[in-house]
Amino acid sequence: MRRTLPAATIAVLTALSLAACGSSDSGPVIDQVRASGVLKVGTEGTYTPFSYQGADGQLTGYDVDVARAVGDKLGVSVEFTQSPWDSLFAGLEAGRYDLVANQVTVNDERAERYDMSTPYTVSEGVIVTRADDTSITSLSDLAGKTTAQSATSNWAQVARDAGANVESVEGFVQAITLLKDGRVDATVNDNLAVGEYEKQTGDSGVRVVADTGDTSEQAFAARKDSGLIPDVDRALEELRADGTLAQISEKYFGTDVSSPSSGS
Amino acid sequence: MNDATVQLILDNLWPMLKATVTMTIPLTIISFVLGLVIALLVALARISSIRPLSILARFYISIIRGTPLLVQLFIVFYALPQFGVIIDPFPAAVVAFSLNVGGYAAEVIRSAILSIPKGQWEAAQTIGMGYATTLQRIVLPQAARVAVPPLSNTLISLLKDTSLASTILVTELLRVAQLAAAPTFDFFALYGVAALYYWVICIFLSAVQGRLEARLDRYVAR
Repeated sequence: MRRTLPAATIAVLTALSLAACGSSDSGPVIDQVRASGVLKVGTEGTYTPFSYQGADGQLTGYDVDVARAVGDKLGVSVEFTQSPWDSLFAGLEAGRYDLVANQVTVNDERAERYDMSTPYTVSEGVIVTRADDTSITSLSDLAGKTTAQSATSNWAQVARDAGANVESVEGFVQAITLLKDGRVDATVNDNLAVGEYEKQTGDSGVRVVADTGDTSEQAFAARKDSGLIPDVDRALEELRADGTLAQISEKYFGTDVSSPSSGS
Repeated sequence: MNDATVQLILDNLWPMLKATVTMTIPLTIISFVLGLVIALLVALARISSIRPLSILARFYISIIRGTPLLVQLFIVFYALPQFGVIIDPFPAAVVAFSLNVGGYAAEVIRSAILSIPKGQWEAAQTIGMGYATTLQRIVLPQAARVAVPPLSNTLISLLKDTSLASTILVTELLRVAQLAAAPTFDFFALYGVAALYYWVICIFLSAVQGRLEARLDRYVAR
């Protein structure tokens, strides 16, 4: 899944970037990372199982482990900064960190605005309804129904295209809550986030009724022209070849979601 | 509520209390004190007879009241770096919150000062007191009494507004609750605890307000 930047944030950022044309340039980021030996990564820390606080209070998760593995390949240590999703990209643009690792879905808007790495996660859209609701069994059944989505996410677009009325929510948990309370009829989200929710909560009040047939790919995002991405991509390629990516994926999802061919 | 939820709450009572004591409360107090200093200066500028000064003060109050606090936080934290000014999260939050309190409290202090009858100023002048002395000895002590209830509101609002600091990477009370709740999806239990913590502090602040009002009322003839 993954929500795009809320409109308000974009508005602020646009205003700010207009106000600050010609920001200071001190060479490509990759040189700074090499020199300092530290790769700074921004992540939410509240998005299980991609980036969350483990039982020991330490940051962990699929994206966190992949970012660490990339750091190892580059021979630098990785330093995480935790930020709510709403301000994750604002922090990237302000240079608070150099890479965002938070299941960031690759789309045209983002590819235009940021340097995106090669994808390291593939997820599929699924439709979730209340367990006792039998009126929705496929994407086309969403026509005329109400779904809860993060307004700007790719899944909101999928739901809209299917003819659903989309209620805007902040995140997955709010969507599920609205669904359980009977305020909406369904939510469209990615199979990985839904799977983790079911695994963690054992919630039998909701169930996955259908695939949307859409897949999306997630990658790291860096500032435009940071020069970071070629090195990150090379590291990802090596991690894929030596099986590390598959291994990290198995650890968190019990299956390999790191490449299109092996998705569930 | 099941056992796992109860355990989750118990496990996080201490980390959340720690965040309250090390982040939420210091952020509130430091910002409020700095904000009051700003507010007093702005209020005096606003009622001053020097035109440019009063226009500047009006402009400042207008900006602070006319823009959302969240935007102010973002500007201090995310925009200033583009001009080469990089402030760490906590000081950045203090800057934004102080400026915000300064704008709101300035109007409170201004109205409190204006509520003191003109005759008090004139009487002080008659016995040879200058502006500063009159303000310090005669007007502000009386104005303080008027200002306590609305300033307490400002303080209580500030306490709750500090939860916005999480958007600029300050790991305060609400953020700790979110971090702890995320792996289990059990958000509402920990949000409840966070609400309880904020509420308890507010009860304490209200009690302080009551004491302060009683104290400042001692010499008032009724």
